[in-house]
Amino acid sequence: MKTGFFHELRKNRVVYAMMIPALAYFVMFCYVPMAGAYMAFVEFNGRDGVFGSPFVGLKNFKFLVTGGEQVFNAVLNTLYLNAMFILCGLVAQIGTALFINEIDGKHFKKASQSLMFLPYFLSWVVIGAIVYCLLANRGFVNTMLTGLGLQTVKWYASPQYWKTIMILVNVWKFAGYGSVIYLAAIAGMDMAIFEAARVDGVNKIGQIRYMTLPLLKPTVVILTLMSVGRIFFGDFGMTIGIVRDNGLLIPAVEVIDSYVYHAMLTSKDFSFSTAVGLCQSVLGLGLILGVNHLAKRINDGEGLF
Amino acid sequence: MGIKSSASDQWFKVLAYCSVGAAAILCLLPLLITLAVSFSNESLVVRHGYKLIPEQFSTETYDFILRSGNNWLLRSYGLSALVTLAGTAASLAATSLLAYGLALKTVRYRQGISFFCYFTMLFSGGLVPWYIVCVNFYHLSNAFISLFLPYLVSVFLLLVLKSFFSSIPESLIESARLDGASDFTIYTRIVLPVSQTAMVTVGLFYGLQYWNDWFLPLMLVTDSNLYTIQYKLYTILSNTQGLSAGMAQAAAGTKVPTETVKMATTVLTVVPIMCVYPFVQRYFVKGLTIGAVKG
Repeated sequence: MKTGFFHELRKNRVVYAMMIPALAYFVMFCYVPMAGAYMAFVEFNGRDGVFGSPFVGLKNFKFLVTGGEQVFNAVLNTLYLNAMFILCGLVAQIGTALFINEIDGKHFKKASQSLMFLPYFLSWVVIGAIVYCLLANRGFVNTMLTGLGLQTVKWYASPQYWKTIMILVNVWKFAGYGSVIYLAAIAGMDMAIFEAARVDGVNKIGQIRYMTLPLLKPTVVILTLMSVGRIFFGDFGMTIGIVRDNGLLIPAVEVIDSYVYHAMLTSKDFSFSTAVGLCQSVLGLGLILGVNHLAKRINDGEGLF
Repeated sequence: MGIKSSASDQWFKVLAYCSVGAAAILCLLPLLITLAVSFSNESLVVRHGYKLIPEQFSTETYDFILRSGNNWLLRSYGLSALVTLAGTAASLAATSLLAYGLALKTVRYRQGISFFCYFTMLFSGGLVPWYIVCVNFYHLSNAFISLFLPYLVSVFLLLVLKSFFSSIPESLIESARLDGASDFTIYTRIVLPVSQTAMVTVGLFYGLQYWNDWFLPLMLVTDSNLYTIQYKLYTILSNTQGLSAGMAQAAAGTKVPTETVKMATTVLTVVPIMCVYPFVQRYFVKGLTIGAVKG
C-alpha cells in the first residue's frame, strides 16, 4: 500500500503539483484557523499567542450553562431570521418562477427577469445605502407618508420594525436569483404531459397544483434542506452592511456571526468570542450531517454531498 | 389546438403579468430613487425629503466628490479595479489548476482531495481564529494582497469548474497523453481552450465577489489608502463626522452635502456593475444552474 501511495504520487506528480496553490490556500485559511480554534480553551493574550496562552479548559464555555443573555438573543435571532428567510424566500422564489413561466411576451419576460435578478449583484453595503435612502428620517418612505398625510416614523430609532425589514430585504435580494434554479427545473419538465392535461381540460391552476409543484418537489426539498442545514449561520454581511454601527438596532437583528464580531471588537475577549463561534460551528456541522442523512433517506440514497 | 383556454386561465395570465411587472418595478425603484437623490440639491433634500424626481436637478454632489479629499474617489475606484483584476486572475488560476486534477479519473486521491476542500464548507474555526491567523501568523494587515488572498478559492466555484472539466471527452485528453504531452500542457493547450465559457462564467463570479467585497477591508485594513470603493461607501454611511472632516479640507469653504454624498457614492459604486450587467447576466444564470445541480 505504501509503495502504491508513492507510485501514485510519482505517476501523477504534475497533477498533484498543479493542485498545490489551491490546497495551500485551504490549509492556510481554513485548516490552520480550525487548529486556531484552540483559542477557545485558553485565556488568550497577544504576547503569548494562540498556543502559549494559559490553558483554562472549558471556562470560556460557561455561557452555555450560565446563559449569556446576549448570546441567547443572537441565537434566537439567527434561528428566527433564517427560518423566515427560508420560508418567505421559498414562496417568493417559486411564485416568481411560476409567474415568469406563464409569460409569453419574449421581451417582457427577459426584461422583467433581468430586473429581478439585479439585486443579487449588489453588495450588502450598497443595499444598506439603498435601505437608508428609503428609511432615513427624510427618506423616501417618510416623504410618501407625509404626502399621504400620515405620521412619519423614525425608522433608525425603532428596532421593533427591523426584523421585518431584514426579511423584506432578503426576499428582495434573492427572489430573482432563487427563481433561476426553479425556472431551469420547470424548463426541464416534459411538455407533453402538460399538453395532454390541457387537452383533458385541466386549467392552469390545476396543472400547477397537480403537476408543476409535485415535479418541483425534489428540487425544493434539496434546496430547503441545504438552507436548513445552515440555519445556525447568520448572514454577517447583511447584518453589518444594513445596520452598521447603529447601537439601537443591533440587538434586534444581531445574529451569531455579527455577535462574535461585536464581542471581539468591544470586549477584546478573543477567547470567549472564539468559544461562541466554535459552538456555532460544531452545532452547524452536526445539523448539516443530520440533514444530509435525512436527505439520503428521502432521496433514495442521494445526499446533499 | 381547438381548445379555448378557460376564463380562469386568462385571469391567471393577467395575474402573472401584473405580479411579474410589479416585482420588476419594485426591484428597480429603490435604485432609481437613489439615483434621483444623488442628482438633487442637498438643501432641498434636507428640507423636503427624498423624492423620486429631483425638485431641482443638480450635479453639485458629484462636483463636490470630485473636488474633495485628495482624489479619494479615483483612488478607491482604482484600488477596487486592481483588486478585482488581480484577485480574479489569481483565483481562476488556482481554482482551475485544482479542478483539472479533480476532474481526472486517473488521479487516485481525487475524491479524498475533493472532500478535503468540501469539508471547509461544513466546518470552520470561526471568525476570531481566522482573524488572528491572518493578522498574527501571515501579517496580512494593511497590504494589497489582504484584499483578495483570503478569498482565493471558492468551493462552490471549484465544483462548478470541476463539473465543466469532467464533461470534456476523456479520449481528447488520452490521445494527447499518448502523444507525450504532460498534464500541464494538456491543461493549457486542451482543457482551457475548450472551456472558455466555463472560465468566463467562473471568472465573472469571482469578479463580482471581489468588486463587491468590503469584509476583508473591514477586518484587515486600517490604512485609508487601502479603502476599496465598497469599504469607502461603508465608512461614509456609518460615520458622517469622518466624512466631513476628511473631505472638507480640499473643498474648503463649501458645506458638505452629507445626504446626497451618500447616495452619489452608492451610485458610483454600482455604475460599473450596471455597465457590464446586460452582457454578463446569462453567464451567471448558467453557472447557477450547474452549481445547483452539482453542488
